[in-house]
Amino acid sequence: MKRQALPGIAAVAVAALVGGCAFNSEQADSGGSADGPVTLTFQSLAFQDSTVAATKEIVDSWNADHPDITIELTQGSWDGVHDQLVTQFQGGTAPDIIHNESSDIMGFAEQGYLADLGPYLSEDTKNAVSDEVWDTVTTREDEIVATPTLIQTYVVFANTDAFAAAGVEVPSGDQLSWDDLRAAAKKLTRDGKFGVGWGLRQPTAAVMNTALGFGGTFFDIAEGDGADTIHVGDNELAVPERIHAMAHEDRSLDPVSLTQSGSDVLPGFLSGKYAMYIGGNYLAQQITESAPEGFEWTVLPPLAGTEGPVQAANPQTMSVSARSEAPEQAAEFIDYFMNPENQAKLAQGDWLIPASSPARDVLAEQTKDTPVWQPILNSAEELTGAPFQKASKYPQWKDQYATPALQQYFADSIGLEDLRTKLTDGWNSIE
Amino acid sequence: MTPTVAPVKHARWFSRPLQYLGLAAYVVFLGFPLLFLLSTSMKSAQELRSPDNSFLPNRLGLDNFGAAIEKANLVQAAGNSLYVAVLTTVIVTLVSLPAAYAMARFRTKLRGAATIWILLSQVFPFILIIIPLFLVLKQIGLVDNPHGLVVAYTVWSLPFALWMLRGYVAAVPVDLEEAGAIDGASRLRVLRSIVLPLLAPGLVATSLFTFISSWNEFFFALVLIQDPDLQTLPLTLARFVGAEGQVQMGQLAAASLLATIPSLAFFLVIQRRLTSGLMSGAVKG
Amino acid sequence: MTATVTARPVRPRRRRGVGGFGGNGGRDAWLLVLPALIPVVLFSVYPLVQGILLGFTDAEAGLNQPVNFNGLDNYARLLDHELFWKSFRIGLIWAFSVTILQFLASLGLALLLNLDIRLRWLARTLALVPWAMPPVIIAIMWKLMLNPSYGPINELMRSVGLPGDINWLGDFSTALPAVIVVGIWAGMPQTTITLLAGLQNVPGELHEAAAIDGAGTWQRFWHVTLPALRPVIMAITSLDLIWNFNSFALVYVLTAGGPGGQTMLPMLFAYNEAFRYGNFGYAAALGNVMVVVIAAFLVLYLRGQARSRDS
Repeated sequence: MKRQALPGIAAVAVAALVGGCAFNSEQADSGGSADGPVTLTFQSLAFQDSTVAATKEIVDSWNADHPDITIELTQGSWDGVHDQLVTQFQGGTAPDIIHNESSDIMGFAEQGYLADLGPYLSEDTKNAVSDEVWDTVTTREDEIVATPTLIQTYVVFANTDAFAAAGVEVPSGDQLSWDDLRAAAKKLTRDGKFGVGWGLRQPTAAVMNTALGFGGTFFDIAEGDGADTIHVGDNELAVPERIHAMAHEDRSLDPVSLTQSGSDVLPGFLSGKYAMYIGGNYLAQQITESAPEGFEWTVLPPLAGTEGPVQAANPQTMSVSARSEAPEQAAEFIDYFMNPENQAKLAQGDWLIPASSPARDVLAEQTKDTPVWQPILNSAEELTGAPFQKASKYPQWKDQYATPALQQYFADSIGLEDLRTKLTDGWNSIE
Repeated sequence: MTPTVAPVKHARWFSRPLQYLGLAAYVVFLGFPLLFLLSTSMKSAQELRSPDNSFLPNRLGLDNFGAAIEKANLVQAAGNSLYVAVLTTVIVTLVSLPAAYAMARFRTKLRGAATIWILLSQVFPFILIIIPLFLVLKQIGLVDNPHGLVVAYTVWSLPFALWMLRGYVAAVPVDLEEAGAIDGASRLRVLRSIVLPLLAPGLVATSLFTFISSWNEFFFALVLIQDPDLQTLPLTLARFVGAEGQVQMGQLAAASLLATIPSLAFFLVIQRRLTSGLMSGAVKG
Repeated sequence: MTATVTARPVRPRRRRGVGGFGGNGGRDAWLLVLPALIPVVLFSVYPLVQGILLGFTDAEAGLNQPVNFNGLDNYARLLDHELFWKSFRIGLIWAFSVTILQFLASLGLALLLNLDIRLRWLARTLALVPWAMPPVIIAIMWKLMLNPSYGPINELMRSVGLPGDINWLGDFSTALPAVIVVGIWAGMPQTTITLLAGLQNVPGELHEAAAIDGAGTWQRFWHVTLPALRPVIMAITSLDLIWNFNSFALVYVLTAGGPGGQTMLPMLFAYNEAFRYGNFGYAAALGNVMVVVIAAFLVLYLRGQARSRDS
């Protein structure tokens, strides 16, 4: 009896295998609005205590007012959110409301995982954000697949005591050119201390964002079919070149900091090892939390290249899963999340810039007594969309080619031409 | 059990001082990281950041432990880990005991097949299993679900549990069973009252080992569990270290120590049995 | 992870069935094995076979994405995928370095532990601890140890006047060696304990006989101990090689494959292909290649060992 059992089992197994690779069992998205009370899951990636608390407050107050639409808040993490979403979308367990950033989310949109929010979002929300920023979350088919919330820019923090001690004037004005930054850093480098510490372990996003200051766009997206081609000219390489020169010619930028993360470098700034510290503006929150008694710091004017203090707007986003039962209700919550008071509250907790201009006004009003906020908010004026956000294989190119190549260049183990080749050939080899 | 030979007393392979030097080097290499972890877990954030950070902590502070528990959501994660590990252990033990008995006592083709499978299961990289397993679990709704993890851990621990238990069963003299049978006791009774008590220590060792493997496992959990509320300890800790937040070395060290305690405690309980048992299982076949 | 070693070939014990229970051993055996067999077939054999087949398809992430068999396309792509070759090279360097160094370190420790020496208990206990620690925590611990600004390693280097600002895990030249050291630390217990048990099984008489024949310490080690240990050594090094080649958690937490892919072990590479870029079919193909490579190495190694024993 068992003798026959084995072939039998084998036959069944083979039939099952041939019958389907288990991939094609998705349900088409339901779409529209669900009747009756719904519970929607919302995964937030807020990580600083202040923002986590603000997010929770917003969700709680929503739930109190909306017994029919309950939002269930879960806490995700920026680290690994991409892998998590790939797996969740594939497994059909993605949250209804998804927090991410525009350069990462657009690939998922292309794979059909995100709902079009265009029909559901209110006019208020749509009018609050500039067209340029909307453009970073709109697909070629004109579907709005995410709502931009907060924007990070790269700012220069300065230890004003270190400037005073070195007899260097703290830069002021509307903008700080890269050359002025370099000159100041040189003067501040002495006695084993460095002018600048910059945690560039993940350099690609920083380079993509700041390269726009020199008109470096990296990608050309064709109007019609959206074909994306790479273009690495001198404008694109202007920022890496300057970073490299500061680290290896002037020795005014600590090369070790270039291999570390932003928060790894922060203690060096707080202990006076670095007079200036470049990083995302969210780091201001960590500085205020962990600066020692009497530590005097400020934010320098926005970094400017030949094109002015332009940076890419790569906003954080809120999206809705295409398989959500109730996208309309989810969009309702996003509308609420986007109202100026809520956005201002979140922005303040993270020291980020709201994409919504009414929220920026509220924030400016709330922070008028905190002078360091001013240059941060000012940098928002020059935020613009950048092609890299629309290049569909950008995340993979970033991981596999751009980051390693930039890291090697910053470690001085390859030259500028090698960098150019690696960036270009890398992009062309994906597909 | 294994004929353990007393350490060769007269061996003079190295001169004594060299031997102690060697031993000291091993002790430092193996022990220093652990001591460092302990010392870091006691230090305050200020102390860790200060330039003259000495090896010994200035204080015996436990506040990092409290903060880690709260911040990294350790209690919930530990609960998830415990649930998954205990359930896995129970299932693996129940399922592998009869199979191990059969493998040790009956010579059928199964035995050869099982041995080959046990060896093969070590060779195949997880990546080959995880993608289809993920899809299979998805079809029965066990993705992002602790029971999916239990399924994965069960099949993953089974080969080794079988291997260990088979050795223990083989070490129980067959004559005992035969004697029982001659006395007219039913088979079940022979198994329950003669074999099982003799197997008990081996069974404990096997289940604790299964528990530890499940408690420590990372890869399956990384792929199968996405909901932050369902994360197991290793997953939570890996995320805790990865977060681009403040570098909280003290809390990280404290959390790591806390998460190690259960498996370490169990391990010390079974280590003697584990080492002798593994060998005897292997040697006696 | 787990370790087990066949020190001697299985010796047939007794003919089918246990005396006194009749001759229906075959069916009984099936019944007893069935509860273990079902989950293994459903969730291990079946996914494994499917995984192997998946390596011959173009499965990709995406809603309602169709899946087609594409023959050997994945393998053709792998052939001229530079990053894949790099990752494989790194994987081989990692697996062989860790296995060999771990073996040498463990053999030394096992020999010491086999002596009548004070503080043996301490070394023995310490040697077991890494076995019980979750790999994730081992990685966290070493990450703290190797921290460029606060780690004790750099502090030690500074205190003896060496450059103390090396970012061990972030520097292109030091990342892989640093990760290998951690790998050795993590895997020493299994190897040491197995070798120690093997040493304790070496009959004392052999040594005595050799000593009477006037063999020196080194000669006795070479001509008596090592040949007696050979089966154990072969088993544990083969297993170590497999485990190391397939290892994931340690390096995932330590470096996640960085900097610039310097520590991108094949498993990490395959994980990224599948669960980061959504190329499931391609990742499965990679897994298939890994199996073939490991199997080839093992066959070569074991056959080589068998031959040198015969001669």
